[in-house]
Amino acid sequence: MLSFLTARQTGLDDPVRLRRAESTRRVLSLELNHDRDVERIHGNGVNCIDIEVIEGRYMLSGGSDGVIVIYDLENCSKKSHYTCKAVCTVGRSNCHVHKFSVETVQWYPYDTGIFVSSSFDKSMKVWDTETLKPADVFEFDGNVYCHHMSPIARKHNLIAVGTKDPKVQLCDLKSGSRIHILQGHRGEILSVQWSPRYEHILATASADGRVRMWDVRRAAGSLFTLDQYNGDKSKASSEAVNTAHNGRVNGLRFTDDGLYLLTTGTDDRMRLWNSATGHNTLVNYGKVVNESRKGVKFTVSRGCSPEFAFVPCGSSVTVYSLYTGKLVTTLRGHYNNVDCCEFHPDYQELYSGGKDCNILAWVPVLRQPDVEDEGKRGGDQAAVNPAFEDAWSSDED
Amino acid sequence: MDQEMRDKLSELVEELTTSGEPQLNQAKMKEVKKICKLSNDYIDHFYHLVMTQLNQDHAEVRFSAFQMAAELFSRSHHFRALLVTNLQEFLELTVETDVEQPLPPPKEVARKLKTQAIQTVQAWQTTYGEAYKKLALGYHFLKQVKKVDFQDVEARTLAERRRREEKQQRLERIYKGKLEKAKQEMEEMASEIEDSLTEMNNCMTLIMPDTFNFFSQELTAVSETSTEVSLQDTDVCDEQPCCSKDLNKEGGRMAGATKGDEEEEDSSAESDTEEGVDKDVFIRSSGLMSHTYRLDLKVSSDLNVKETEENEAVVNTMRDLHRLISSRYLPAIQSWIQVFTKVGVEEQLMRRATDLKKSLEMVLRKHDELHIDYKARQRRVLKAGEEDDDDFEEVPEKEGYEPHIPEHLRAEYGLDPISSPSTSVAELKPSKPVERPIAPPMPSTLGRLKSRRYEEELDPTCAAATLRILKEKVATATCTSVSGGSPEPATSCSSEQTEEKEKAPVVSFGLDLYYWGEEQPTAGKIIKNISQHQFWVPHEVEEEVENEELSAQMKSRYITFAGRFQPVEHKCKAPLPNGSLCERQDRVKCPFHGLIIPRDEIGRPVNPEDAARLEKEEYKRREEQPDWRDPELMREIEAATGEDLGSSKTYGKGKKAGKGKGKKRKHPNLTDLKQTANTSRSRLEKKVFNKSSMKRIAAVMNKMDTRKHEKFANQFNYALK
Repeated sequence: MLSFLTARQTGLDDPVRLRRAESTRRVLSLELNHDRDVERIHGNGVNCIDIEVIEGRYMLSGGSDGVIVIYDLENCSKKSHYTCKAVCTVGRSNCHVHKFSVETVQWYPYDTGIFVSSSFDKSMKVWDTETLKPADVFEFDGNVYCHHMSPIARKHNLIAVGTKDPKVQLCDLKSGSRIHILQGHRGEILSVQWSPRYEHILATASADGRVRMWDVRRAAGSLFTLDQYNGDKSKASSEAVNTAHNGRVNGLRFTDDGLYLLTTGTDDRMRLWNSATGHNTLVNYGKVVNESRKGVKFTVSRGCSPEFAFVPCGSSVTVYSLYTGKLVTTLRGHYNNVDCCEFHPDYQELYSGGKDCNILAWVPVLRQPDVEDEGKRGGDQAAVNPAFEDAWSSDED
Repeated sequence: MDQEMRDKLSELVEELTTSGEPQLNQAKMKEVKKICKLSNDYIDHFYHLVMTQLNQDHAEVRFSAFQMAAELFSRSHHFRALLVTNLQEFLELTVETDVEQPLPPPKEVARKLKTQAIQTVQAWQTTYGEAYKKLALGYHFLKQVKKVDFQDVEARTLAERRRREEKQQRLERIYKGKLEKAKQEMEEMASEIEDSLTEMNNCMTLIMPDTFNFFSQELTAVSETSTEVSLQDTDVCDEQPCCSKDLNKEGGRMAGATKGDEEEEDSSAESDTEEGVDKDVFIRSSGLMSHTYRLDLKVSSDLNVKETEENEAVVNTMRDLHRLISSRYLPAIQSWIQVFTKVGVEEQLMRRATDLKKSLEMVLRKHDELHIDYKARQRRVLKAGEEDDDDFEEVPEKEGYEPHIPEHLRAEYGLDPISSPSTSVAELKPSKPVERPIAPPMPSTLGRLKSRRYEEELDPTCAAATLRILKEKVATATCTSVSGGSPEPATSCSSEQTEEKEKAPVVSFGLDLYYWGEEQPTAGKIIKNISQHQFWVPHEVEEEVENEELSAQMKSRYITFAGRFQPVEHKCKAPLPNGSLCERQDRVKCPFHGLIIPRDEIGRPVNPEDAARLEKEEYKRREEQPDWRDPELMREIEAATGEDLGSSKTYGKGKKAGKGKGKKRKHPNLTDLKQTANTSRSRLEKKVFNKSSMKRIAAVMNKMDTRKHEKFANQFNYALK
């Protein structure tokens, strides 16, 4: 650390380098922190969470009972212990609340005044954060599995919506209408994702095992389909041609730079693709247990030198090194299946929500002061909390 | 870390968890703690051991492991940290948080484990919840998601509670229905009951007056008799003691030997006379024996009401009412009260029911006190029966012969009274040629009757005449058919030979008897036709051939002598495995224990050579394995039933014991999970789903099935295939 600092001071290093090294270190030391709590509002499982990118202060969460909660993540109390308060809630008493499970929530990328939620009640609502009333409601024919707004788009205001219908819908926030349909999939659309690099590039994942890349300016068909065998037909059986996974593809995520695309499928595999060419990079992540029938909301770190992927896996969150596929660690804290996780890029914190109604904050452990020796540290810790003391009774001598 | 200590720790954990006891062995646990205290490495090891034991599919093992974990949890921070990081798994294994991973059997222990685990988690939460975040999370998870009510001692989950509530509601509904029914019934029956109560009371008051005086007298009498009353002699001056007593009294003063007689009657008087001498003068003058007398009046203490003609109607009503009350009203009220107490109704209803019951019971008691004599009524019933008999008399008299006449009607029919009906039947049977002395000595007073009967006999329409004819017939038949009957009746005419007659055996009639005492010239002779031709007959016509055999047959008689049956006196007496002796009474050989040999009272052979032979046989039998004890089959049966049939024993020389069964169970203290419950269902299953029977049934059904599809199944030559 000190060497990084001196190198930075003397100007030997790029400023990014120090930042990257430190954030990587912090990500590696993530753990369930005693000092950080998230208020328990949800009475049912938490399906999705989203952290806004403008301030990095507010977090949206959607529950499987239709409740949407906005949390304030910022600790202004200047104490180490902090419970993230719920700022406002779209509860069951709200007349506009989603009837069924909220599957996706997303902040409007440029303003926290708007957020969008989609639900199994076949609707997608655009909310006004101030009044907590829907500014617009899009109705669909089937359950809405996912939607996504482009985080960088300046020339369009499109929301891609994946429903039970194999056609991907494009809704325009400007006109408040469904303007476009992307045809090509043969199964329900479980995940959609805009590229963070090119505002017109969209990736969609479907239950038919295929992942298609689209340019929304060219509606005739998809750009290409990701093929797990990279076009090597001899390896693929006839029905597995041009498929990304052998099961349903239920998770999609671009890396922060948009160069790579990460997909998960119910064949318990995770694959990393070159998003420009559609090439399978053949990184082996091992078995990533995935039994979800819905979309899986996993996330990728931002600003670390080797990037990490955080994938919900059973009742734990597994952390993989993105480019090597190495399992870095497993974050165990939930008591039931984890449904979603979200990475906070500014503080390198991870928030995960699961079926046990909890939203857990995984916070980097602060670096211990180096000067103090081992023995004193132990004593210190015990002094901090008497519960950490050993309580051997004397008769065991 | 010391390898030795480590091994010891593993051993201790293994022993503690497989003990199968509800409480941990404190001494061993202390040792475990001592080892764990040494270093965190041991705690690590201990943690892994406990987790492996917790993963075992046996509730007892899990329970013990859980207890150990709880012990160490309160001791070591390191262990707490380890356990809390893996609290999910721990809860899954102990609190059953995962529905797909239920706790293993045995059930009671599993329930106990769950309850205790929940309580422990709560205790942990209160003490360590602040410090260990995951513990708090786990606690909240249990509380909020699994809806475990920590206040509930039984630690039931929400579903269980709901089920319980539903059951309660159902029961309540049923009770409510019952209550309504009982209420309605009571409404309907109350007036009825009250009516019958008043009726009963009225009946009693009606009966009472004529017995009331007696009743009051009796009461005073009872009070008198119950206490010993010393009477002044003036009170009883009218009593006259007999002179013998007087004598005795004087004698009693002289000699105490004679007192004995007196003491029986009057002991207190005796002592009195001896005490006061001056009083004796008075006694003597008055002629009394003593100043005190005990008067014993024997009056039957219970009231008796006899049924008479006057009170008959009343008593009858009372009787009916009594029956009605005891058989109908009382049980009904009883059931209402039961329902009321179960449901818990308003007091008024309950009181009414109990009042009704009380009054009914009182009436019954009163009725019992009356001791009404119902005998008269029973007699009346009999009388009615007699009246029925009278009805029968009106049936027109039957003419001619009547085989069986009841004894008491014989006089009417003009027949002799006979000793027993059986003889009369025998006598009247004409087919039986036994002649017996029928006429018993007739009393002289019946002489007139006899003459009248003679007259009757002349009348052919009377039964007596028929009987006479029959008698005559029989007599002539027995006298004439001497040769046709058995020897006994043949000789019956001559009374002198009765003694010989008795000795002579009774044999069946045969050819030899037919020709008895006659020389048969043709006996055994056969006319033999030489020519077999039908028409052509040779000149010398008949040739008689004497057949020895045939002639002998004419004269001889075969008598098979089977001997007499002699019951077997001895018993087999071979010792049985249950300690008793074989009770079989075979003549020569017992089917189970071979030749019957003399044995003593404990079943040992008396003769030494017998003993030696038996021993040899026994040895031989042991040596060779009986073929029905196929070891494979036995092992299968043992596996199915869980009983030891002894298949592991080696019988033959070359046979080896079964590999699985020979080994002793690893942890004998734990409850055996594989042991199937011995329920009626399992027993039936064993029978029904038996491999061989299943096979058999399948074969039969297959056969039937193929039959169905054959073309000519109904033709015998195809069907036979």
